[in-house]
Amino acid sequence: MADIRLVNVSKQFGTVRVIENVSMTIESGEFMVFLGPSGCGKSTLLRMIAGLEDIDGGEIHIGNRRVDELPPSERGVAMVFQNYALYPHMSVRDNMSFGLQNIRMPREEIAKRVAAAAKTLELEHLIDRKPGQLSGGQRQRVAIGRAIVRDPKAFLFDEPLSNLDAGLRARTRIEFAQLHQRMKTTMVFVTHDQIEAMTLADRIVVMNNRKIEQIGTPMDIYTRPASRFVAAFVGSPAMNFLPVQQISDRDGMALVKLPDNSEIQTNIATAHLPNDGQLTLGIRPESVRVDSDGTVSGKSDVIERLGERTLAYVRLADNSVVIAEDEGMSRLNVGDQVKLSFDGGSAHLFDARDVAYSAAG
Amino acid sequence: MSSVATTPAAGEVVGMSPRKRRIIKALDIAGLIATIVTFLGAIFWAFPLYWALVTTLKVENDIVQPGIALWPQRFTLDAYTHVLFNTKIGTWYINSLVTAGSVTVCVVLMSALAGYAISQLKFPGRRILWWVILASFMIPIPALIVNHFVLISQFKLFNSWLGVILPQLVYGPVTVIIYKQFFDSVPKELREAAKIDNANEFQMFFRLYLPMNWGITTALAIITFIGAWNQFLWPFLAVTDEKMMNVTVGITQVTDAFGVKYARDLGSAILAGLPVAIVYLIFQRKVTEAIMLSAGIKG
Repeated sequence: MADIRLVNVSKQFGTVRVIENVSMTIESGEFMVFLGPSGCGKSTLLRMIAGLEDIDGGEIHIGNRRVDELPPSERGVAMVFQNYALYPHMSVRDNMSFGLQNIRMPREEIAKRVAAAAKTLELEHLIDRKPGQLSGGQRQRVAIGRAIVRDPKAFLFDEPLSNLDAGLRARTRIEFAQLHQRMKTTMVFVTHDQIEAMTLADRIVVMNNRKIEQIGTPMDIYTRPASRFVAAFVGSPAMNFLPVQQISDRDGMALVKLPDNSEIQTNIATAHLPNDGQLTLGIRPESVRVDSDGTVSGKSDVIERLGERTLAYVRLADNSVVIAEDEGMSRLNVGDQVKLSFDGGSAHLFDARDVAYSAAG
Repeated sequence: MSSVATTPAAGEVVGMSPRKRRIIKALDIAGLIATIVTFLGAIFWAFPLYWALVTTLKVENDIVQPGIALWPQRFTLDAYTHVLFNTKIGTWYINSLVTAGSVTVCVVLMSALAGYAISQLKFPGRRILWWVILASFMIPIPALIVNHFVLISQFKLFNSWLGVILPQLVYGPVTVIIYKQFFDSVPKELREAAKIDNANEFQMFFRLYLPMNWGITTALAIITFIGAWNQFLWPFLAVTDEKMMNVTVGITQVTDAFGVKYARDLGSAILAGLPVAIVYLIFQRKVTEAIMLSAGIKG
């Protein structure tokens, strides 16, 4: 178990910069998730920690040791790949033993470790099978087993759930969480799936366009996004964005006006807001309710009935669309005129540079 | 009013238009013609083999009689007993086995290593090396015979196994190309996983890449062995000592020593080809695979 420190790490492929001056510390025993869209550099960053990609600038430390000049095998990390990368001609046992045999570990110790990992991951009955004879979920567990037997300082997971079907993915996600609770080892997990990130992470690193947008706990990221990108990327359905004008402040908090002239009182201190320029209101669908006493009017375009709640896509007078929530048994139909009430206290404002301003507290 | 239900006759396709039926009929006729032509081709190809086999079972006097006798009037195994007990065919078999076996092991191992290096390692000159291998593929082997002859002469390797084996090691570019293509197709994550698993290049090669598809190695080994066993020109030039001859060269001595005896000549030819035929029959599928692999390269 060790912390991982990245100091001004950069990487470029040819003339294309893929990582720019990234710095962060992953605490010892922490479950850190790198979250971002495809091509944002999250997998490259993980591979740089693993030693599978050289860095062009900066330093990487694992524990008290600088490792960016060391080969992957000497960094004390284990990695689980997206496609598992199991050796197809070897049995489950041999897949797990291979790394230990290469460091000439005594046979008895190898057998002990493999047996322990197989028991932990419920692979005992599959130990002599080859990867081709296993299901996706079983292969996944073998790949984790191969990592566990090495007793690494840190586990690196590169989108390990993306090849599983939805049901298995949800189950395996829980197994990952249990594994981390049991092992308490530093884990770095790359995904583009925000649900995986939110449910597994102690902290999330949201990346976009080669850079870190925000590092924080899942609830921090969700409730206090640092930028419009983070606000839009995290949360499903996505946050609503509406152009607004700040008209005044009440007790130091911004009062904004929607294009249809309805007013929303926010909990965002006006002192922090820019004096000029366009503002955008960001508000999550659960903070916009279908409410007969609401102040904002519109027409429902699409209705999504999810069982425990109903989502209404409501077109406002200025033609912008807002996603609002209603109760599960909502009688709302497409084409109905609806009134919406906005919970301005949980709203965010974004300036022209997409910097976020959130409610105090 | 009663209706009569009719059932289609056997083989008749229900609901098919007359045009479609005509097309299927035409296809059947084409298939039949193709089968007949193939069958005739097979007879045309196999007849000399049959003729050789039948001749070895005839008495020499019957062989030289005018007319065509498709079946022996008197059966005898004299030709085989003579070749087996009055020639050095046992020694020739051993020579062939040693030289063809050595060529096979060396060509397969060197080609696999070269293919692995070119496919997986980054080193200066890698691209040039690859082009050289490709270029060597364009040079016909007989064009190298004189060079080989001079070299082997200078190294004083005539009438030795090494002299027969060494020049045949340059017959490997196709094998290198096939290995390279296979190693290229292995997902790079396996190599990365092996790197994290502390594997060095030799461990990666011998424990991962090579065993990952023994089928390719087996197929290439078989086809290389058959090629080396059947080699005639180079072993014929490199060996003059009867004790060091390969079986393909040795059987020419049967004629020289005993004059023209058709049954003996053909008997020795059949005995020379027998091991290859057995290898082919045992590994038929692998040989076909290997031919397909190399045909894919040669276009």
